[in-house]
Amino acid sequence: MILLQSHSRFLLQTLLNRIQNLEKCIELDHHWVEFDDVRYHVQVSMKNPHILLLSLSLPTPPLETVFVGGLPFGAIEAIKASYGVIVQILDPPRDGFNLTLKLNLSKLPQDEDQRHTLLVKIASVREVVLGAPLRVILKHLASRTVAPDIDQFVALVHRPNESFFLVPQQAEKVTVVFPMRFKDSIDTVLATSFLQEFMESRRTAGLSNAPPCLWSKTPPLELKGVTDDELSANAGFVTFVILPRHVEGRKLDRTVWNLSTFHAYVNYHVKCSEGFMHSRMRRRVESLIQALNCAKPDQEKTKKTPQTRSFKRLNLKDSRTNSSS
Amino acid sequence: MASTLRLYLTCIRNTLEAAMCLQNFPCQEVERHNKPEVELKTSPELLLNPVLICRNEAEKCLIETSINSLRISLKVKQADELENILAKKFLRFLSMRAEAFQVLRRKPVQGYDISFLITNYHCEELQKQKLIDFIVQFMEDIDKEISELKMSVSTRGRLVATEFLKQF
Repeated sequence: MILLQSHSRFLLQTLLNRIQNLEKCIELDHHWVEFDDVRYHVQVSMKNPHILLLSLSLPTPPLETVFVGGLPFGAIEAIKASYGVIVQILDPPRDGFNLTLKLNLSKLPQDEDQRHTLLVKIASVREVVLGAPLRVILKHLASRTVAPDIDQFVALVHRPNESFFLVPQQAEKVTVVFPMRFKDSIDTVLATSFLQEFMESRRTAGLSNAPPCLWSKTPPLELKGVTDDELSANAGFVTFVILPRHVEGRKLDRTVWNLSTFHAYVNYHVKCSEGFMHSRMRRRVESLIQALNCAKPDQEKTKKTPQTRSFKRLNLKDSRTNSSS
Repeated sequence: MASTLRLYLTCIRNTLEAAMCLQNFPCQEVERHNKPEVELKTSPELLLNPVLICRNEAEKCLIETSINSLRISLKVKQADELENILAKKFLRFLSMRAEAFQVLRRKPVQGYDISFLITNYHCEELQKQKLIDFIVQFMEDIDKEISELKMSVSTRGRLVATEFLKQF
């Protein structure tokens, strides 16, 4: 799996399981955590087996992001638009969560394919909620307009206490800037080399349609005026320039998801390559130990001695052929 | 490039062959103790002159000898930050497994990346020629491993970037 999937696999599995045995009354109570500190909670009670409560907790927003009632702006409209009648937003949400949805499983469409697409959509609730503000801005870009009453930059949360920035004030393009922060010094170095590859591979012929991508150690000029505190990044800054052709029609969903999980994507591959390095080093250590063991003289002796002492058992036939020869 | 590496390694091999004539030698200060003199440096008459072999600024090898022990310290080439990290990671990996290696010193000597400590007991247990082979092979392997790891990181980075940008 090179790319991150937008739906939570466990949630999708839980929903599918639930739908297959809708008549059975089961008590369900699952908690789980996904990358970037997104937590889920699913609850089904014995009394109403077709009602499923899904709660979602988002990463803690830093000061500069705009949150309306615990959710990013535009999230409620996005939920209503994508789920329709089967979902009801509970207010207030469960304790410790930002959003609680009440799903009425009996209202799902009967058609197999339609139902599956809707379930996948529900399983990617994280994309719908966290990506909502980005989607609003990119939709304006698709129609080549500037959203009214918008600030010079918009900060959007993507990790606990960290945000990335959008500069949406031009009708023809939206600049997205990611300050890349990593906790570990090894991660930082690996990520830096990865990010430089982003810049270089953009130049290759096949990818000339991709958004222009820049990496720099210092904050780009677009972010003049943002406080230094928000701009402390140890792995530099990545800038994508999103043009209207990147958000046309169906591409919008994918672009929103890719941009809102860019940091997780890089981080995921940094960790993968570290894992690969470890297994490789382990193998190399083994081969070196073997090389050292070659230096032991005892080993050769023990190899030879059993051979000289062993006897080969011959059966009657063999002995005859031996004697005749 | 390859020929300078061969010269460097041959030089180390010859030096080691000359240096690796160790004998049992009990401690002069404490009765019934037997310690590697190169580590303790208690009496100057038991130490020999250390030999420093350099390929360039970044790659060098220090061979310190005494009557009953021998210490080899290596500095591995680290051209950029990534190589530095990879070398550090790999060498730490080895030092943590020093027990399995017997001759590996758990901590490198100051200013070097990795050290070996060979005592007369090692020379009795192991074949001298093979031990030297091992050290030379070790040096070759480290260089090869680090450059291969670096290559794999950049290949992966390229692939990751291409796949991401293809999405748009």
